[in-house]
Amino acid sequence: MSHNNSSSASDPRQPSTAKPYVPSSVAPQDLPINYPGFIAMIFGVAGVLFKYKLCSWLAIIFCAQSLANMQNFENDLKQVSMAMMFAIMGLVSNYFGPPRPGTKS
Amino acid sequence: MAKQTSPLWLRPITTILTPRGESLWYFLAILSILSVLGQEITRCSGLGAAADFEGFGDEGEEEEPSDSPQISDLSFRSLVPPPPVTQSDFETHHGPPHTAKSPPSSPSSDPSPKAFDYWDEDEFEGLPITEPSETLQETSTPSSPADEPKPATPPPKGSSYTIEIVCISFLTCFGINYFTGKRENENIALAWAAKFATKDSIFEKNFSLLGTGDGTDTPLLLKEGPNVFKFYASGRRYCHGLLATMELQSRHDLISRIYNLIVPCKDEINFEVYMNDDAMDHVVLALAKKKAAKMMQKEVRDLQRFANLVSPPSNRKWVVEEFAVISESREVAGDLISETILDQVFGDKAFEKFGKGFNYMHFSDQHSGPYKKMLLFKFALPDAKHMADMTRLVALVPYYIDLIGRYKVSSQVRSKTEAARAKVAQEIYKEHLNARQEALQKRKADKKKMEEAEAKLSAEALRKKEAKEKARQMKKAMPKVKMTRGH
Repeated sequence: MSHNNSSSASDPRQPSTAKPYVPSSVAPQDLPINYPGFIAMIFGVAGVLFKYKLCSWLAIIFCAQSLANMQNFENDLKQVSMAMMFAIMGLVSNYFGPPRPGTKS
Repeated sequence: MAKQTSPLWLRPITTILTPRGESLWYFLAILSILSVLGQEITRCSGLGAAADFEGFGDEGEEEEPSDSPQISDLSFRSLVPPPPVTQSDFETHHGPPHTAKSPPSSPSSDPSPKAFDYWDEDEFEGLPITEPSETLQETSTPSSPADEPKPATPPPKGSSYTIEIVCISFLTCFGINYFTGKRENENIALAWAAKFATKDSIFEKNFSLLGTGDGTDTPLLLKEGPNVFKFYASGRRYCHGLLATMELQSRHDLISRIYNLIVPCKDEINFEVYMNDDAMDHVVLALAKKKAAKMMQKEVRDLQRFANLVSPPSNRKWVVEEFAVISESREVAGDLISETILDQVFGDKAFEKFGKGFNYMHFSDQHSGPYKKMLLFKFALPDAKHMADMTRLVALVPYYIDLIGRYKVSSQVRSKTEAARAKVAQEIYKEHLNARQEALQKRKADKKKMEEAEAKLSAEALRKKEAKEKARQMKKAMPKVKMTRGH
């Protein structure tokens, strides 16, 4: 239908009015919240404080998800790297440190 | 042909290498964490080494004292028992109460002297040393079986590695899925572009500038993320640009994929057409599925302010039952939902074949946001092999650009719409005025506060000055007392 219109009428294109693309700028506060990064941070801190192996592993998994979904590098990279540091510290202290009081062999 | 906004891995490196302000604090935090980590590792390795030998020291109770010289080589003073040679020196040096008891209990009292090494034994002559040594002996024996199964290194007997195995396998699956999902999404986007944006396609015939670059050989699609792709076109009558955003399922993210098995999600494409100021008359119209239409009428600002649900007219063909129309005026709705459109997409016959992928369309010259005059379309994207199913839906876009570009509302409708817009404009103006007045008042109040604070300060400063002056005067008035040095 529109093909007929454009060929019977004049060519709808107007090169003179073409404007280049301007990406819309989003203020840093308006960006969508990075939930996986936030959850990774919580699990990482919990893993370090309570010496729970599972928490540290879950933190690593959510860090991976946050990295995969990262669209805005500057803002998200800081949070993800912090969460990653906590998770790795939790893992190291769990595997190479004294075990939790209360875990049986 | 897909292109990324900027080199993926270069930007984070540059942000890391040039810290400023906030980033500096993050770096300090990371450094402190690393230092704590290092400390923990060294401490834990020390403890681990010591723990290995603690069992030794307690097991050595019944063994010959010849074992102890080996242990004495270690430098852990708090845990290592001193060898018997020094033990005897210790005894001879410190008198009878020790000699009587210490030799038979010297191996067993090994834990005790280590505590007394740092005490001045002369002060504690006459103290019953055997008691603490016996109690220590008792406490050491129950602690020894508990110490043994406490190694610093992980694998205790009979433990399973389930958590580690599960997590590592999940991470590998995640990694594999990232690449396959990303490629799948790219295939869908490229299939769409190949059908509708390449040579001799509908957009190529309608727009002179395609893609986000400004050369002739620029890529058509802009990849904003593994599941978001944008297509830009410009250079047509009645509008100054079109932006198509493809929001695909997060196939690259395993957790989202699992979530989408429970809560289904569809691939969607969103068209935004930016109309010229002189090309769009007073039109506020939306067409969507019934439930979505009701929600839109309540939530979208301009529909809420200007438009209402339109009941299907009885004297002509209309859209299928599944759809509802929201419009400012029935006449405009009737004009814009023409017979051709009904036959092609929205009518009873056409809907079954072509209209299933239609989500909504929303035309308005009163949009909230930076662009006031926009046409919005949302369609569901079929999979890569069935892109042709969408042809009629995509054809709606240039058809409506032309239709609305040429359309002029009748005079009756115009009077009504103008009255409505004038009212809304007045309300907005009043709101602005109120906001400005409030801001002004707030600024005045703040200024007053600051002035008062300054006045207080200056009053206090004045008082202090006066006090100082007085003190100086007093000093001057006092007789000068000469002091001479005594020889």
